[in-house]
Amino acid sequence: MSTNPSEQNQSEYWIKARAPELYINPLPVRIWHWLNALGFVVLILSGTQIRYTNLFNLMSFETAIKTHNWVAFAVIANYFVWLGFYLFSDKITVYHPELNMKKFFTRAFAQIQYYSFGIFTGERSPHKVVPHDKFNPMQSITYQIVMLLVVPIQFITGIMMWDIKRFGNAIEILGGIEVVNTVHVLIYIFFVSFTLVHAYMGALGKTPATHFREMFTGYEEEH
Amino acid sequence: MKVGSTTGDSAGNDRAELSVLTMLFICCMLFSGVLYAQETAETEIPATEIPAAEKNAEPAVIEDARAATEDSQVDVTSRLEEILKNNTKCLRCHNRDKSKLLEDGESMSIQVHREEYLSSAHGEVSCVSCHEAIGNRKHPSKSTNITINSEREYSVEMNDSCRNCHREKTTQYKGSVHAALVAQGSTKAPVCTDCHSAHAVETMENYQAVTGLPCKNCHESIFNAYSDSVHGEARINGNTIRDTHIQSPICSDCHKSHEVTALGIGDPLRTTCIGCHENVVLLHTQWLPNAGTHLDIVSCAVCHAPFAKRKFDLHLYDNVAEVPVVQKEGAEPLQQQLQAIANEGGIGDPLEIWKQRSGMGQQGQAMDISLRSRMEVMSGVAAHQIANKSFAVRTCDSCHEPGSRQRQNVTVSIPQADGRMQSFDADREALSTVDAVKSISDFYALGGNPNKILDYMLLLSLLAGFAIPIGHFTLGKMIKEKMDKGEQ
Repeated sequence: MSTNPSEQNQSEYWIKARAPELYINPLPVRIWHWLNALGFVVLILSGTQIRYTNLFNLMSFETAIKTHNWVAFAVIANYFVWLGFYLFSDKITVYHPELNMKKFFTRAFAQIQYYSFGIFTGERSPHKVVPHDKFNPMQSITYQIVMLLVVPIQFITGIMMWDIKRFGNAIEILGGIEVVNTVHVLIYIFFVSFTLVHAYMGALGKTPATHFREMFTGYEEEH
Repeated sequence: MKVGSTTGDSAGNDRAELSVLTMLFICCMLFSGVLYAQETAETEIPATEIPAAEKNAEPAVIEDARAATEDSQVDVTSRLEEILKNNTKCLRCHNRDKSKLLEDGESMSIQVHREEYLSSAHGEVSCVSCHEAIGNRKHPSKSTNITINSEREYSVEMNDSCRNCHREKTTQYKGSVHAALVAQGSTKAPVCTDCHSAHAVETMENYQAVTGLPCKNCHESIFNAYSDSVHGEARINGNTIRDTHIQSPICSDCHKSHEVTALGIGDPLRTTCIGCHENVVLLHTQWLPNAGTHLDIVSCAVCHAPFAKRKFDLHLYDNVAEVPVVQKEGAEPLQQQLQAIANEGGIGDPLEIWKQRSGMGQQGQAMDISLRSRMEVMSGVAAHQIANKSFAVRTCDSCHEPGSRQRQNVTVSIPQADGRMQSFDADREALSTVDAVKSISDFYALGGNPNKILDYMLLLSLLAGFAIPIGHFTLGKMIKEKMDKGEQ
């Protein structure tokens, strides 16, 4: 159900009026998500330009480096918007609604089945989206690994390479700049496919635009 | 009495004769004495003539002579006159065009041009101050049986006499690459007289003029490169560094005049440039990402000699002592050691095996050696072709582009015990293999050395990024079609 529709402006009311909706993605999450998405695209493009200078000529190497550095710091700052929101709100439950591994794996398997077959036959998703449990088990585990492990590692290795001299000792401990760079590149490679698949999955709503629209408005149509 | 009187008269005559004879004797003695003294003065150098200060290896230059004078209350002018007088004696013979046959069959000119010597920086120094053996009456001759084997050997021997006055400079020279080469038996490495000449010794100011540099005698191609460089042109034109009276650098400003060093790996070279270009770090930081690292691992000439060929130069680095590994004196060259290990055909990186066999590092501690790389120019000539900064390379692609020309030149350099760098070509694949991650963990050039496996992984990731959605979408379509057919 929508929340307090009388106070919404006309357009939002019109959106909500079409079907029962839940306020799933609060403003900080939406700001973080879209800034992060834009940042990731720029970082992947500038990173590819840096690594493969002669593959395409989107921008000069110098511009690519500067763009990559500035956008990376913006993405890092933005990360703390996400982290701060979930640490200091009760919404943290969206990532860990229930600490029951058996139940988790059962639900994850059901979710895989749904994405493999049921989604095409018009079945309902086994996961019911509610504000405090918005992720299905597959999303939950993936986003936790990405946001709490992969992304921080990418930030750390990136910061180290941003000023190799300043972080020389830390780089040395990790095995040298070539090791740090290889880790950074591996994560970049992962994010190339992750971003594409993530965008595709976003198009698997009722219509291809449904989830994108939901991520802008914050309201999700009740499944 | 007549006899008596005669006797008396003859006795008086005898006395007169005796007096005349005595006078003549005394005159003869005085005359012969004067002649003897004059002769002695002309043929001998009295032992007392060589000042005690000189004999005890004290400076014989005029300043020191004055200092000695103050102590001993001897008149300076008379001492100087005495030195010049004695030098004149030497020059009486040595001013002539004469040569001496040496033991090696060659002849050596022993001519000293009077005017050249007297107008030289040593013009007021006595000959025997340097030629001490001659001062001790051992002038090389058949009678003294003192011989000279070769001109080179004599020059090397004479180097020690410079120390009598120029102790600090000769000590610096002893630590130079030139002295190391002389000690190794080089017949070309310069001794003092090769740069300063034996007798026409110039004052310091003359060596600081571009035309007076002795370095070009051996390093002509490098000197020519310097002359055409921004440094050389500014020096020749007498330009000073802005707002200062400091002139543009000359050879000795970077390489030192006596403690001559080959500016090989890293810090010494950078420090030398930054010694004058103080704000260079700040200026680079304003536009160059990772400026500190660039300044550490890219030699200044790589960008500031824009037409120079470049290379990746690998060297072994002792992480504990924090210095490049130097070839131990007398040990088998490192290149041969590594090659021998590689030839054994065993499993593993030759460098790792070498480290295990070597056991301990230079400082006697556990070995912690890694392979590091620097961007260098290909030759010493190129290193001196520094252009005006407006021509400096600022296109990052020239280094960070995969397959760039620079990447195709990879060398391994090992500093020798004497300070010179020995470089040999390395396999260019050394920088782009999986092993390189371990071997050259301290080196990385963005975009310059993509690991092929990572490239394939990226391609795979990109394919997966498109294949998964396309596959999933196609699967969905097929299922729907099948269901539609089933319904029909």
